[in-house]
Amino acid sequence: MRALLLRCYPARWRARYGDEFAEILAERPLGPFDVADVVLGALDAHLHLRGLGAASEHGRGFAMSLRIGGIAALFGGVLWFIGIAGSSATEFDGLFASLALIATASLLVAMIGLSAFQARAYPRLIWLAFGIPALGAVISLVGYYGMATVGDGPFLGDVSPWYVWMIGTLLMIMGSGLFAFATWRASSLSRGAAAVLVAAAVGVLILVPNLMGVVSFIPEALGPLASIVALGAFGAGWSGLGLSALRMDRAALAAIGGASS
Amino acid sequence: MTPQIPELGRFAEPALLILVSLSEGPKHGYAIMTDVEAGTGRPLGPGTLYAALARLEERGLIEALAPVDRRRPYRLTGVGETILREQLHELTAFAELGLRRLGRAPR
Repeated sequence: MRALLLRCYPARWRARYGDEFAEILAERPLGPFDVADVVLGALDAHLHLRGLGAASEHGRGFAMSLRIGGIAALFGGVLWFIGIAGSSATEFDGLFASLALIATASLLVAMIGLSAFQARAYPRLIWLAFGIPALGAVISLVGYYGMATVGDGPFLGDVSPWYVWMIGTLLMIMGSGLFAFATWRASSLSRGAAAVLVAAAVGVLILVPNLMGVVSFIPEALGPLASIVALGAFGAGWSGLGLSALRMDRAALAAIGGASS
Repeated sequence: MTPQIPELGRFAEPALLILVSLSEGPKHGYAIMTDVEAGTGRPLGPGTLYAALARLEERGLIEALAPVDRRRPYRLTGVGETILREQLHELTAFAELGLRRLGRAPR
Protein backbone atom coordinates (compact mmCIF):
# COMPACT_ATOMS: atom_id res chain seq x y z
CA MET A 1 0.00 0.00 0.00
CA ARG A 2 2.89 2.36 0.79
CA ALA A 3 4.27 2.17 -2.75
CA LEU A 4 0.80 2.88 -4.12
CA LEU A 5 0.40 5.91 -1.87
CA LEU A 6 3.76 7.25 -2.97
CA ARG A 7 2.76 6.79 -6.62
CA CYS A 8 -0.17 9.17 -6.03
CA TYR A 9 2.30 12.07 -5.85
CA PRO A 10 3.61 13.81 -8.99
CA ALA A 11 6.96 12.54 -10.33
CA ARG A 12 8.63 15.91 -9.72
CA TRP A 13 7.54 15.86 -6.08
CA ARG A 14 8.73 12.24 -5.67
CA ALA A 15 12.13 13.10 -7.10
CA ARG A 16 12.63 15.65 -4.33
CA TYR A 17 10.80 14.11 -1.33
CA GLY A 18 10.14 10.50 -2.38
CA ASP A 19 12.92 8.75 -0.38
CA GLU A 20 12.32 10.51 2.90
CA PHE A 21 8.53 10.30 2.50
CA ALA A 22 8.74 6.53 1.87
CA GLU A 23 10.82 6.27 5.03
CA ILE A 24 8.17 8.12 7.04
CA LEU A 25 5.40 5.88 5.69
CA ALA A 26 7.43 2.84 6.77
CA GLU A 27 8.03 4.17 10.30
CA ARG A 28 4.62 3.35 11.78
CA PRO A 29 1.35 1.52 11.00
CA LEU A 30 -0.89 3.44 8.63
CA GLY A 31 -4.56 3.80 9.52
CA PRO A 32 -7.45 5.38 7.60
CA PHE A 33 -6.42 8.83 8.90
CA ASP A 34 -2.90 8.58 7.48
CA VAL A 35 -4.07 7.12 4.18
CA ALA A 36 -6.66 9.90 3.72
CA ASP A 37 -4.08 12.50 4.73
CA VAL A 38 -1.58 11.18 2.18
CA VAL A 39 -4.19 11.02 -0.62
CA LEU A 40 -5.25 14.62 0.12
CA GLY A 41 -1.57 15.60 0.34
CA ALA A 42 -0.96 14.06 -3.10
CA LEU A 43 -3.93 15.94 -4.56
CA ASP A 44 -2.58 19.12 -3.01
CA ALA A 45 0.89 18.43 -4.47
CA HIS A 46 -0.58 18.04 -7.98
CA LEU A 47 -2.47 21.33 -7.65
CA HIS A 48 0.42 23.08 -5.93
CA LEU A 49 2.90 22.15 -8.67
CA ARG A 50 0.46 23.54 -11.22
CA GLY A 51 0.20 26.78 -9.24
CA LEU A 52 -3.39 26.03 -8.21
CA GLY A 53 -2.92 25.01 -4.59
CA ALA A 54 -2.36 26.93 -1.40
CA ALA A 55 0.71 28.60 -2.93
CA SER A 56 -1.66 30.95 -4.69
CA GLU A 57 -3.14 33.93 -2.83
CA HIS A 58 -6.53 32.39 -2.21
CA GLY A 59 -5.79 28.66 -2.31
CA ARG A 60 -6.75 26.63 0.76
CA GLY A 61 -4.99 23.31 0.25
CA PHE A 62 -6.24 19.99 1.63
CA ALA A 63 -5.57 18.32 4.94
CA MET A 64 -7.23 15.63 7.04
CA SER A 65 -7.63 16.70 10.65
CA LEU A 66 -9.10 15.94 14.04
CA ARG A 67 -11.37 18.96 13.47
CA ILE A 68 -12.97 17.44 10.36
CA GLY A 69 -13.45 14.14 12.19
CA GLY A 70 -14.91 15.88 15.23
CA ILE A 71 -17.44 17.87 13.25
CA ALA A 72 -18.41 14.80 11.20
CA ALA A 73 -18.91 12.73 14.39
CA LEU A 74 -20.93 15.43 16.13
CA PHE A 75 -23.35 16.00 13.27
CA GLY A 76 -23.28 12.38 12.10
CA GLY A 77 -24.37 11.17 15.55
CA VAL A 78 -27.35 13.55 15.70
CA LEU A 79 -28.40 13.00 12.08
CA TRP A 80 -28.05 9.24 12.41
CA PHE A 81 -30.44 9.12 15.36
CA ILE A 82 -33.01 11.34 13.61
CA GLY A 83 -32.69 9.41 10.33
CA ILE A 84 -32.90 5.89 11.82
CA ALA A 85 -35.57 6.72 14.41
CA GLY A 86 -37.64 8.52 11.76
CA SER A 87 -37.22 5.68 9.25
CA SER A 88 -38.26 3.09 11.84
CA ALA A 89 -41.35 5.06 12.87
CA THR A 90 -42.71 5.66 9.38
CA GLU A 91 -43.24 3.85 6.10
CA PHE A 92 -40.40 4.51 3.65
CA ASP A 93 -39.78 8.22 3.93
CA GLY A 94 -37.25 9.69 1.52
CA LEU A 95 -36.29 12.46 3.94
CA PHE A 96 -35.45 10.24 6.93
CA ALA A 97 -33.78 7.60 4.78
CA SER A 98 -31.67 10.28 3.09
CA LEU A 99 -30.72 11.72 6.48
CA ALA A 100 -29.61 8.29 7.63
CA LEU A 101 -27.48 7.85 4.48
CA ILE A 102 -25.89 11.28 4.90
CA ALA A 103 -25.24 10.45 8.55
CA THR A 104 -23.62 7.14 7.60
CA ALA A 105 -21.29 8.93 5.18
CA SER A 106 -20.56 11.52 7.87
CA LEU A 107 -19.71 8.81 10.43
CA LEU A 108 -17.33 7.18 7.92
CA VAL A 109 -15.54 10.54 7.59
CA ALA A 110 -15.51 10.75 11.40
CA MET A 111 -13.86 7.33 11.63
CA ILE A 112 -11.14 8.51 9.27
CA GLY A 113 -10.57 11.84 11.02
CA LEU A 114 -10.61 10.42 14.55
CA SER A 115 -8.64 7.22 13.98
CA ALA A 116 -5.04 8.51 13.95
CA PHE A 117 -3.92 7.48 17.43
CA GLN A 118 -5.99 4.30 17.71
CA ALA A 119 -4.59 3.04 14.38
CA ARG A 120 -1.04 3.22 15.70
CA ALA A 121 -1.92 0.89 18.57
CA TYR A 122 -4.52 -1.33 16.84
CA PRO A 123 -4.17 -0.93 13.06
CA ARG A 124 -6.05 -4.12 12.10
CA LEU A 125 -8.92 -3.41 14.46
CA ILE A 126 -9.29 0.12 13.10
CA TRP A 127 -9.23 -1.03 9.47
CA LEU A 128 -11.88 -3.64 10.34
CA ALA A 129 -13.93 -0.98 12.18
CA PHE A 130 -13.78 1.20 9.07
CA GLY A 131 -14.21 -1.55 6.47
CA ILE A 132 -17.35 -3.14 7.96
CA PRO A 133 -19.46 0.07 7.99
CA ALA A 134 -18.04 1.12 4.61
CA LEU A 135 -19.46 -2.13 3.23
CA GLY A 136 -22.62 -1.47 5.25
CA ALA A 137 -22.98 1.97 3.65
CA VAL A 138 -22.94 0.43 0.18
CA ILE A 139 -25.51 -2.20 1.21
CA SER A 140 -27.73 0.49 2.79
CA LEU A 141 -27.52 2.50 -0.41
CA VAL A 142 -28.71 -0.54 -2.39
CA GLY A 143 -31.57 -0.99 0.13
CA TYR A 144 -32.43 2.69 -0.16
CA TYR A 145 -32.61 2.37 -3.93
CA GLY A 146 -34.85 -0.68 -3.51
CA MET A 147 -37.23 1.05 -1.11
CA ALA A 148 -37.45 4.05 -3.43
CA THR A 149 -38.18 1.90 -6.50
CA VAL A 150 -40.12 -1.22 -5.45
CA GLY A 151 -41.33 -0.16 -2.00
CA ASP A 152 -42.05 -3.21 0.13
CA GLY A 153 -42.04 -5.68 -2.78
CA PRO A 154 -39.43 -8.36 -3.47
CA PHE A 155 -36.12 -6.81 -4.40
CA LEU A 156 -33.08 -9.09 -4.41
CA GLY A 157 -34.65 -12.53 -4.88
CA ASP A 158 -37.23 -12.72 -2.11
CA VAL A 159 -35.48 -10.30 0.18
CA SER A 160 -37.27 -7.04 0.78
CA PRO A 161 -35.34 -3.77 0.38
CA TRP A 162 -35.98 -3.03 4.05
CA TYR A 163 -33.96 -6.10 5.06
CA VAL A 164 -31.12 -5.06 2.76
CA TRP A 165 -31.22 -1.60 4.32
CA MET A 166 -31.24 -3.13 7.80
CA ILE A 167 -28.20 -5.33 7.10
CA GLY A 168 -26.23 -2.23 6.04
CA THR A 169 -27.36 -0.38 9.16
CA LEU A 170 -26.36 -3.26 11.42
CA LEU A 171 -22.91 -3.34 9.82
CA MET A 172 -22.61 0.40 10.57
CA ILE A 173 -23.49 -0.27 14.19
CA MET A 174 -21.07 -3.21 14.43
CA GLY A 175 -18.18 -1.18 12.97
CA SER A 176 -18.94 1.75 15.25
CA GLY A 177 -18.78 -0.58 18.24
CA LEU A 178 -15.35 -1.86 17.16
CA PHE A 179 -14.14 1.69 16.57
CA ALA A 180 -15.36 2.78 20.00
CA PHE A 181 -13.72 -0.25 21.61
CA ALA A 182 -10.35 0.65 20.01
CA THR A 183 -10.84 4.27 21.10
CA TRP A 184 -11.60 3.20 24.65
CA ARG A 185 -8.52 0.95 24.75
CA ALA A 186 -6.26 3.65 23.28
CA SER A 187 -7.73 6.41 25.52
CA SER A 188 -7.26 8.80 22.61
CA LEU A 189 -10.64 10.60 22.96
CA SER A 190 -13.34 10.63 25.64
CA ARG A 191 -13.39 7.15 27.22
CA GLY A 192 -16.88 7.85 28.57
CA ALA A 193 -18.30 8.57 25.12
CA ALA A 194 -16.48 5.52 23.72
CA ALA A 195 -17.99 3.33 26.47
CA VAL A 196 -21.49 4.68 25.74
CA LEU A 197 -21.00 3.91 22.05
CA VAL A 198 -19.79 0.36 22.74
CA ALA A 199 -22.72 -0.26 25.09
CA ALA A 200 -25.20 1.20 22.59
CA ALA A 201 -23.82 -0.88 19.72
CA VAL A 202 -24.00 -4.08 21.78
CA GLY A 203 -27.48 -3.09 22.98
CA VAL A 204 -28.82 -2.52 19.47
CA LEU A 205 -27.33 -5.79 18.19
CA ILE A 206 -28.98 -7.66 21.08
CA LEU A 207 -32.32 -5.92 20.57
CA VAL A 208 -32.59 -6.57 16.83
CA PRO A 209 -33.47 -10.31 17.05
CA ASN A 210 -36.07 -9.38 19.69
CA LEU A 211 -37.60 -6.69 17.48
CA MET A 212 -37.71 -9.06 14.53
CA GLY A 213 -39.52 -11.65 16.63
CA VAL A 214 -36.74 -14.25 16.40
CA VAL A 215 -36.47 -14.32 20.20
CA SER A 216 -38.53 -12.51 22.83
CA PHE A 217 -36.56 -11.77 25.96
CA ILE A 218 -37.94 -8.23 26.30
CA PRO A 219 -41.69 -7.66 26.81
CA GLU A 220 -43.34 -6.40 23.64
CA ALA A 221 -44.37 -3.11 25.25
CA LEU A 222 -40.79 -2.31 26.26
CA GLY A 223 -39.17 -3.19 22.93
CA PRO A 224 -39.66 0.18 21.17
CA LEU A 225 -38.58 2.13 24.27
CA ALA A 226 -35.43 0.02 24.65
CA SER A 227 -34.68 0.56 20.95
CA ILE A 228 -35.05 4.33 21.22
CA VAL A 229 -32.77 4.40 24.27
CA ALA A 230 -30.14 2.29 22.48
CA LEU A 231 -30.33 4.33 19.25
CA GLY A 232 -30.19 7.57 21.25
CA ALA A 233 -27.14 6.33 23.15
CA PHE A 234 -25.53 5.37 19.81
CA GLY A 235 -26.00 8.90 18.45
CA ALA A 236 -24.95 10.45 21.77
CA GLY A 237 -21.81 8.28 21.88
CA TRP A 238 -20.72 9.45 18.42
CA SER A 239 -21.53 13.08 19.20
CA GLY A 240 -19.62 12.77 22.49
CA LEU A 241 -16.56 11.49 20.64
CA GLY A 242 -16.90 14.39 18.21
CA LEU A 243 -17.13 16.94 21.01
CA SER A 244 -14.10 15.52 22.79
CA ALA A 245 -12.12 15.67 19.52
CA LEU A 246 -13.10 19.31 18.96
CA ARG A 247 -12.20 20.16 22.55
CA MET A 248 -8.81 18.49 22.11
CA ASP A 249 -8.31 20.30 18.81
CA ARG A 250 -9.05 23.68 20.33
CA ALA A 251 -7.38 23.31 23.69
CA ALA A 252 -3.75 23.50 22.63
CA LEU A 253 -4.11 25.58 19.53
CA ALA A 254 -6.92 28.09 20.00
CA ALA A 255 -4.56 31.02 20.00
CA ILE A 256 -2.42 29.71 17.12
CA GLY A 257 -5.46 28.87 15.00
CA GLY A 258 -7.05 32.24 15.66
CA ALA A 259 -3.93 34.14 14.80
CA SER A 260 -2.77 32.27 11.73
CA SER A 261 -6.01 31.55 9.91
CA MET B 1 -4.42 40.26 13.25
CA THR B 2 -2.02 39.96 10.27
CA PRO B 3 -0.62 36.47 9.76
CA GLN B 4 3.17 36.35 9.88
CA ILE B 5 3.45 33.14 7.87
CA PRO B 6 1.84 34.32 4.66
CA GLU B 7 -0.02 32.52 1.89
CA LEU B 8 0.08 29.05 3.39
CA GLY B 9 -3.70 28.63 3.48
CA ARG B 10 -4.75 25.58 5.49
CA PHE B 11 -1.10 24.70 6.12
CA ALA B 12 -0.32 27.86 8.12
CA GLU B 13 -1.09 26.16 11.41
CA PRO B 14 0.99 22.98 10.82
CA ALA B 15 3.75 25.24 9.43
CA LEU B 16 3.88 27.19 12.68
CA LEU B 17 4.02 23.96 14.68
CA ILE B 18 6.86 22.71 12.46
CA LEU B 19 8.81 25.96 12.91
CA VAL B 20 8.41 25.69 16.69
CA SER B 21 9.59 22.08 16.58
CA LEU B 22 12.67 23.04 14.55
CA SER B 23 13.45 25.94 16.89
CA GLU B 24 15.28 23.55 19.22
CA GLY B 25 17.49 22.18 16.43
CA PRO B 26 17.41 20.23 13.14
CA LYS B 27 14.98 17.31 12.88
CA HIS B 28 13.90 14.89 10.17
CA GLY B 29 10.26 14.46 9.17
CA TYR B 30 9.34 11.62 11.53
CA ALA B 31 10.92 13.39 14.52
CA ILE B 32 8.98 16.58 13.67
CA MET B 33 5.74 14.61 13.41
CA THR B 34 6.15 12.87 16.77
CA ASP B 35 7.34 16.10 18.44
CA VAL B 36 4.29 18.06 17.21
CA GLU B 37 1.92 15.26 18.23
CA ALA B 38 3.48 15.00 21.69
CA GLY B 39 3.37 18.78 22.15
CA THR B 40 -0.20 19.36 21.01
CA GLY B 41 -1.96 16.00 21.45
CA ARG B 42 -3.22 16.34 17.87
CA PRO B 43 -2.32 14.01 15.03
CA LEU B 44 -0.18 15.34 12.20
CA GLY B 45 -0.47 13.15 9.10
CA PRO B 46 2.46 12.58 6.73
CA GLY B 47 0.64 14.25 3.82
CA THR B 48 0.00 17.44 5.81
CA LEU B 49 3.55 17.42 7.18
CA TYR B 50 5.17 17.29 3.76
CA ALA B 51 2.75 19.78 2.20
CA ALA B 52 3.77 22.26 4.92
CA LEU B 53 7.50 21.35 4.74
CA ALA B 54 7.52 21.91 0.96
CA ARG B 55 5.92 25.34 1.34
CA LEU B 56 8.25 26.38 4.15
CA GLU B 57 11.25 25.29 2.10
CA GLU B 58 9.98 27.16 -0.99
CA ARG B 59 9.68 30.36 1.04
CA GLY B 60 13.13 29.95 2.52
CA LEU B 61 11.94 29.58 6.12
CA ILE B 62 13.59 26.17 6.51
CA GLU B 63 16.35 24.37 4.63
CA ALA B 64 17.16 20.73 4.06
CA LEU B 65 20.45 19.27 5.29
CA ALA B 66 22.34 16.32 3.81
CA PRO B 67 20.36 13.09 4.22
CA VAL B 68 21.31 10.63 6.94
CA ASP B 69 20.43 7.17 5.58
CA ARG B 70 17.16 7.97 3.81
CA ARG B 71 16.06 10.57 6.36
CA ARG B 72 16.65 14.20 5.56
CA PRO B 73 16.87 16.64 8.48
CA TYR B 74 15.55 20.20 8.21
CA ARG B 75 16.59 23.31 10.09
CA LEU B 76 15.34 26.87 10.51
CA THR B 77 16.93 29.53 8.32
CA GLY B 78 17.66 33.04 9.64
CA VAL B 79 14.50 34.32 7.93
CA GLY B 80 12.49 31.46 9.42
CA GLU B 81 13.79 32.23 12.90
CA THR B 82 12.91 35.93 12.54
CA ILE B 83 9.39 35.22 11.30
CA LEU B 84 8.79 32.61 14.00
CA ARG B 85 9.98 35.05 16.68
CA GLU B 86 7.63 37.79 15.35
CA GLN B 87 4.72 35.37 15.19
CA LEU B 88 5.27 34.14 18.75
CA HIS B 89 5.59 37.72 20.08
CA GLU B 90 2.34 38.56 18.34
CA LEU B 91 0.62 35.52 19.84
CA THR B 92 1.93 36.42 23.29
CA ALA B 93 0.60 39.97 22.97
CA PHE B 94 -2.75 38.56 21.78
CA ALA B 95 -2.92 36.11 24.72
CA GLU B 96 -2.04 38.86 27.21
CA LEU B 97 -4.74 41.11 25.78
CA GLY B 98 -7.31 38.33 26.13
CA LEU B 99 -6.24 37.55 29.70
CA ARG B 100 -6.39 41.24 30.67
CA ARG B 101 -9.91 41.51 29.27
CA LEU B 102 -10.97 38.34 31.03
CA GLY B 103 -9.61 39.77 34.28
CA ARG B 104 -11.73 42.91 33.85
CA ALA B 105 -14.89 41.11 32.76
CA PRO B 106 -17.76 41.21 35.30
CA ARG B 107 -18.64 37.80 36.73
